[in-house]
Amino acid sequence: MIKVENLTKRYAGVTALSGVSFEVNRGEIVGFLGPNGAGKSTTMRILTGFIPASSGRVEVAGCDVFEDSLEVRRHVGYMPENNPLYVDMRVREYLKFRAKLKWVPRTERNERIHDVVEMCGLTDVQHRVIGHLSKGYRQRVGLGDALLGEPDLLILDEPTIGLDPVQIRQVRQLIKDLGKRHTILLSSHILPEVEATCNRVIIIHHGRILASDTPDNLVKTLHRGGVIRIELRAPPNEVESKLGGVEGVESVTMDAGADGYVEVLVNPKAGADPRESLYSVIASNRWSLRELSRTRTTLEDIFVQITREEDEAEEERREARRSLLR
Amino acid sequence: MRNVAALLRRELNAYFASVLGYVVLMFFLIVMGVTFAVIVNYLNHGPTQLTAMKIMFSMFWLPSLVVIPMITMRLLAEEKRSGTIEMLMTAPVTDFEVVFSKYLGAVVLYTLMWALTGLYVLILRHFSGGTTALDLGPIACGYIGVLVIGQFLIAVGVLSSSLTKNQVTAALMSFSLVFILLIVVNWLGYLFQGGPINKIVKALSAFDHMDDFSRGILDVRPIVLYVMGTVAALFITTRVVESRKWR
Repeated sequence: MIKVENLTKRYAGVTALSGVSFEVNRGEIVGFLGPNGAGKSTTMRILTGFIPASSGRVEVAGCDVFEDSLEVRRHVGYMPENNPLYVDMRVREYLKFRAKLKWVPRTERNERIHDVVEMCGLTDVQHRVIGHLSKGYRQRVGLGDALLGEPDLLILDEPTIGLDPVQIRQVRQLIKDLGKRHTILLSSHILPEVEATCNRVIIIHHGRILASDTPDNLVKTLHRGGVIRIELRAPPNEVESKLGGVEGVESVTMDAGADGYVEVLVNPKAGADPRESLYSVIASNRWSLRELSRTRTTLEDIFVQITREEDEAEEERREARRSLLR
Repeated sequence: MRNVAALLRRELNAYFASVLGYVVLMFFLIVMGVTFAVIVNYLNHGPTQLTAMKIMFSMFWLPSLVVIPMITMRLLAEEKRSGTIEMLMTAPVTDFEVVFSKYLGAVVLYTLMWALTGLYVLILRHFSGGTTALDLGPIACGYIGVLVIGQFLIAVGVLSSSLTKNQVTAALMSFSLVFILLIVVNWLGYLFQGGPINKIVKALSAFDHMDDFSRGILDVRPIVLYVMGTVAALFITTRVVESRKWR
């Protein structure tokens, strides 16, 4: 559906994207994840033909974005960042205007608008002026607009920004439902958002793609800090040597609690899960066990980790360049 | 050009969904109404060579100076400021279609405003019926002149609006341009009596063109001049809108 090869975008003096390549297949929900200013919006604007790339190839629905801009725009439903709308228009009037612009045939127009209004839960507000609507409703109008042309691809830039928790949940659910029929590319700097809705995540930072995988795989392959926490009643001097000897354990730290229980934090080796072996050691020593759990690595940890590593690498490169100059 | 109808409709709606359309109409009708009353009063004092509508048309610059910046300032500046331009330009429409529809919307409003002064013609006709028959030819020509000059100034206004995100800046810019094109050019004519400069200025002066039109002289040269001017202004505007692509 989307094919991006070696995409670079330079604004006057600033490189917003450098050598970005990725693909999105039909039917996927892909999340673009990155801190503010990472290049998410720039990429989306290029994909929708609003601005051209400095270099690189971008194909959407089999058409070149620069050569066949109008054709691409017909296949894409786009909701820009901050969802700009004509605030002086009424919801239905606005959707009708947009449907005409998107070449929805006259005979299907009313039906299509009706469907979209229903799908996005706009029935109650369809005759109200957009400027008087709450942010949540406006967001749904933007989504409805994006859906009008029955696009193959939906591009949503920060679809839940500025919404309250209830509205966020509603919009997320809507996106999930839409994912059954459309290919979706959405961007966010909120991690749980991406984790909850997307089946693939592309992490972008300083205009470069750092990782691209399913949320689960990202957690698995980059899983380093999944610490196992154990609380048990046992002589502290034995605990360290016995648990430290279990296969797959990297290191053990202990902290004796006031109530006679010892809190043990076990660092497993990369990819290993020694919980079962740990339990059998504990059981065979007849220590009483109160807790054995693993703290799950979240996408958030990975994100922080990856972007920090990248920043450090960047700093090193800069340092190397500086020393070369000297 | 298939999107122009939809875009034009949106533009016209925007004028009358906000107060702007009504305020501009009100301003125009007050100015023209008072002007008309003054003219009729003046003509009542004795016989003269001039006709009421001729004096009326010679006052065209007064509302133009205010009305044209007002109806064009919003067009592209507001889209840029609120970000709606991004939504507009990612729909399957071309940049020129957007620019042209905005220009057309303002022209329609401007035409509507002047059409309302047709009432004055009816009033004159009603009250002057027996003594002096109203000559409709020069009046029709006068309206053509007002529209031809007005549509060019609107194109200049659209261009101003494309250059900034700020409506006030856009309005001041188009006011300055309209002022130069109407008043300053005419004033240069007074400054350089005779000589080649005077000839050039006369060829460019909207006052002189309007004078001809309202006498019933339908000269093709000024019409070509203004249409070419419009084409140039809209072309540059489209380039400015596109400039996001190569900046």
